[in-house]
Parts: sequence; C-alpha cells; structure tokens
Amino acid sequence: MIDPTYLGQILVNGISVGCIYGLIGIGFCVIYNASGIVNFAQGAFVMLGGMTAYLLIAKTGLPLLAAGVIATLVVAVLGVALERLVVRPLWDRNATMFVMILATLAAQIVVERAMLLMVGDQPKSIAVFTDLPPIRIGGVAIGYQLLWIIGVSVVLISALNAFFQRTLVGRAMRACAIDREAAALQGINVSGMLALSFALSAGLGAIAGFLVTPTQYTAYNVGTPFAISGFIAAIVGGFGRPLGAFLGGIILGVSQALAVVTFGSGMKNVAALSVLLLFLFFRPTGLLGTAK
Amino acid sequence: MTSLPATIFRELRDPLNLVRHLPTLLAVGLVLYAIVAGGYVVALAGFALIYAVFVTGLNIFMGLGGQASFGHNAFAAISGYTSAVLTTSYGWETLPAMGVGVLGAVTLAVIIGYPTLRLKGHYLAMATLAIGLIVYEIAVQWQSVTQGYTGISGIPPLGIGKWEAASDRAQLIVLSLIVILAMLSAWRIRNSRFGRALVAFSGSEDAARALGIDVARYKLAAFVVSAVYAAIAGSLLVHIVGFVSPEVFGMSMVIAGFTMLYVGGIGAVVGPLVGAVMINLLPETFRGLKEYQDIIYGVALIMILIYAPGGFASMSTLWRGAPSEDDTIARDPGLAVNALEAKP
Repeated sequence: MIDPTYLGQILVNGISVGCIYGLIGIGFCVIYNASGIVNFAQGAFVMLGGMTAYLLIAKTGLPLLAAGVIATLVVAVLGVALERLVVRPLWDRNATMFVMILATLAAQIVVERAMLLMVGDQPKSIAVFTDLPPIRIGGVAIGYQLLWIIGVSVVLISALNAFFQRTLVGRAMRACAIDREAAALQGINVSGMLALSFALSAGLGAIAGFLVTPTQYTAYNVGTPFAISGFIAAIVGGFGRPLGAFLGGIILGVSQALAVVTFGSGMKNVAALSVLLLFLFFRPTGLLGTAK
Repeated sequence: MTSLPATIFRELRDPLNLVRHLPTLLAVGLVLYAIVAGGYVVALAGFALIYAVFVTGLNIFMGLGGQASFGHNAFAAISGYTSAVLTTSYGWETLPAMGVGVLGAVTLAVIIGYPTLRLKGHYLAMATLAIGLIVYEIAVQWQSVTQGYTGISGIPPLGIGKWEAASDRAQLIVLSLIVILAMLSAWRIRNSRFGRALVAFSGSEDAARALGIDVARYKLAAFVVSAVYAAIAGSLLVHIVGFVSPEVFGMSMVIAGFTMLYVGGIGAVVGPLVGAVMINLLPETFRGLKEYQDIIYGVALIMILIYAPGGFASMSTLWRGAPSEDDTIARDPGLAVNALEAKP
C-alpha cells in the first residue's frame, strides 16, 4: 500500500511539473491559433530558456531573476528569428503542413546540436529562486520552487487572458484564429501576428524552461520530451484552447507522477507518450473539444 | 508497364537523359570506387548503402503514399536490437536473428499502424514521432537487455552459415546487392497495382475511395512495407558496425533520412541511393566536420524545403523534356509532395 503522505507529495510534484507542461502547451496554441502551424521546435525554446539563464549566471554572475528576464527576452528574439528564417519563407511559398513540420523539427535538431557543441553534454542546473527549507503541510513538503512555478504560471495565464480579451493586439490575434482572411480584410496585419505569436510562444517556453531548471536540470537534449509533453497538454485540453492546455498539462503532470510511483522513474517519458497515444486514438479532440 | 532493361535502354539512348541521370551514375560510381579502393571510404559507403535501404522505405510510405512518419527509427531500432541481442547473448546466426528482428518490427508496425494511420496531419506526425521516442526510451531504460547508453558491442558481421562478410570489401558487395534488391523491389512496387493505389490516395483519399481503393488497408500495407525496409536497415547497421546504442536509432536518424530523401528526390526509385551517397560521402570531403554533421543535415534540409521543395531531383526539370507516359510521379516528385494535406 502506498503511503498517503508520499502520494500527496507525488501529486504536488505532478501539479508543478504540469504547470510547466501547460505553459509549453499554451505556446503551441498561441502559434497554432495565429497561423494554423504546429511548431515542432517548441522544445528548443524551453531548453534555450533554462540554458541561456544558466550561461548568463555562470559567465556574467547576473542575479537569478535578472538572468531569467534577459533569457526570456533573448529567446523571444530567437523565436522571431526562427519565424523569419525558417517559417516565413515556407509560409510565403504555401508549403504543405508536412514540410512545415519537417522544417521545424530540423530546426529543433540544429538548435540542439549547436547547444551541444557550445556547452557539452553535461547536465546544467541553476539555484532555486528562494533558498529556504520547504513548507510542510501534514508531512507533504512543498518547496519554494514549486510555489514559484505555480505562482508564475497563474500570473502568466491571467495576464495572457487579459491580453487576449482586453487589448487590441490580443483581440486581433484571436480574430486571426477564427478566420485569417476575414481578419486581413478588417485591416489586421496577419503576417505581423505570425511573428508576434512566435515571440510570445518562445517567451512562454523560455519562462517554463527557466522555472523548471532548478528542480530538474537542463541539457542540450531536454527540449523534445518537453515539447511532446506540451503538445500532449494541448491535445488533452483540446488543441488551440490555452486554458485547456493548462488543464491538460496538470492532468498530464499528475498522471506522469503516478506512473513514476507505480512503474519507476525510468518510465516517465514512456507514460507521457502513452497518454498521448491513448488520447490520439480514442479522443483526439481532447477533453474540451478542439477550438476549431 | 515496361520491362526494366527496356526502360534503362530507353533512358540512356538520349544524351539529355544522360545528364539527368548524372547524379545516379555518380552515386553508383562512388560506391564502385569504394569497393575497389578500400580504406576509410568503405565505412562511409557502407553507411550510405544502409541508409539507402532505410530511405527507400520512407520513399514508399511518404513519396508514393503521401503519408508522414517521423517514427520509422522505431522499426530500425527493434530489428537492430533484436539482431544484436540474439547474436551476442544467445549465439544465434546472423540471418535468422535478422529475420526475427524484421518479424518483430512488422508485428509492431501492424499493431500500431492500425490505430495510428487513422490520424491525419499534426496528429499523425506527433503520434509517429512519439512511437520513435518510446522505442528510444525503452532502449535506454531496459538495461538488462539493451545495456542502456553503454550499448551492446561485439555483434558479429553479416554472414550465412560458415561464411562471414568479414572484410570491408565483402561487406560492401553484400550491401550493394541488398540495395539493388531494395531498389528493384521498390521499382516493382511503384509499377504494381499496390503502388498505383498509393499514388492514387496520396492525391485524394476521397477520389481513391470512389475508385474502389480500400484506402485504410493500403495505407497500413504501405506502412508495414516501409517498416520492413527500415527494419532491414536497422539490422544491417548493427551487423556492419558491430555495436549498437540508443543514439544510433535516435530522432536524428529520421531527420538524416528525410534529408537524403529530399536531396535524392522524392518518389524516384534511385533517389534514396543518390541522396544517401551524397549526404554521407560529400561532407567527408570537408574533414573535421563530423561534429557539425547533424547541424549540416538540418540546415541543408531546411534550405531544400524552402528552395527546392520537390527535392534536388526536381531541379532537373530545368533541362528536362516532355515527360514520358508511364512514370509521371517519378518524374515529378512535387506531385506526391503537393498531394500531402494542404496548409490549413
């Protein structure tokens, strides 16, 4: 029989990892809604977020949070670079979806290998944001990093929600999601939205990578598993629904945590991928149904 | 349908066609050079030939059938590891071990192909990618059998009974024969009822269905056939190298495969050989680029996708005459690619 305290601990950890998956999943949704593209290089942003922060701290001795902010901005710019160099030329040539997937996947490999050459294959980590002993609630230890993850995620999602509901640019992006041609006829700069969605999505991925690095580690090859988890989160929530993706992330995080308890830690990714396949085969529209 | 010798004769009669077939002749020439010259180039030619088999599988599923799979490394891995384990731990001979490996890959292809191939677009892409990653993870985690990252070494070379293809030259000759068989079978498939059905549904599934083609069944068949090529390539790889680790069958195998497919030209039967030889041998002329290999593949692939989406071979349309009546798909790789679901 599993100890209930242990189970509680697992659930708390699952929720915090789930928030990370949720943020990555939202990144998928933002680009998909603006353009109909599924960016298979999403994981590169997560890896770059954690790695850039690590490099900034290790090389320049910047304080943690400043490094995080700069890393997020740097990765957002890199996101726009990916859009300009790879996605935009294909988009302009009306490339098929398969070609777009293959090209972004290739970009993912290029970024990964370039990082491998730059920093080597050893895992890197950064310090926790608040170095205090964890809070204990009935024997369940809740580390401050988990609170950071959950707190920042909630703030980000509220901010995104306000952005999409209240601001002109946010509404324009939603208009693109509904019908790009109609949006263009209303004078919305649709191609500008593509660049903006990549910046936003890359920034979200970078924040996720920055938040998660202290609890796990980062290495040149962490991107793809994170991207797949984020994609699963987006599918579980119904593709194209940011809030659904966040919910999906938490469901995935918890079920992954439970799988680790039952089958051992080696099965973490296998469990996530199995969740993906189950959803794809039996309920591809997700829990909430797809946005379109 | 014309016979093969007649086709070759017709193709080579016209001097313009000679120019068009230059890449193929060059690829064959380089392999022959490797067999004669020996030395370091042999290992590279070996890799090229093995990848030619792998890419031929992708070519049937994607080039003819217009379906996306990013997980064919899974089949190579299953067959490769089965070969490796059966020959090293259980003392099996190479050929039966390979047979069991291919059988295992086929079984998996049937089991996962059935539900997976009902998916379309991003879902199909992500599901196949996931299958490749699951197999990779299992190869890493199932240490008692696969020895994890350490890998399995001391795998015997190819051979039948007492005879082993121990020398580099013998290995290359065996591989060349296998590649010839792979190309011939792909050529037969393309010109068969089965191949025409694949081309038909890559254009429009609805139209194919209206013509009475059982699309789901043919799709599964194409998936399984392409898995067989991938599995054979996987087994060959471990027997030629003598070592296997999860990295051998990672996601970069698929990216490398697609790079070769695009360089060689999608849909053309000899495309995989041309692509594999060019991608494996040409970068070697710039020594010291080994570390940058995957980066070069990735960047090359992106450039080709942007500037020559039908593959390098499609550029030859520039100096090509009117297409002949029988093999339009081979001559217009773009046809199969464009048939993939249009941008949403």
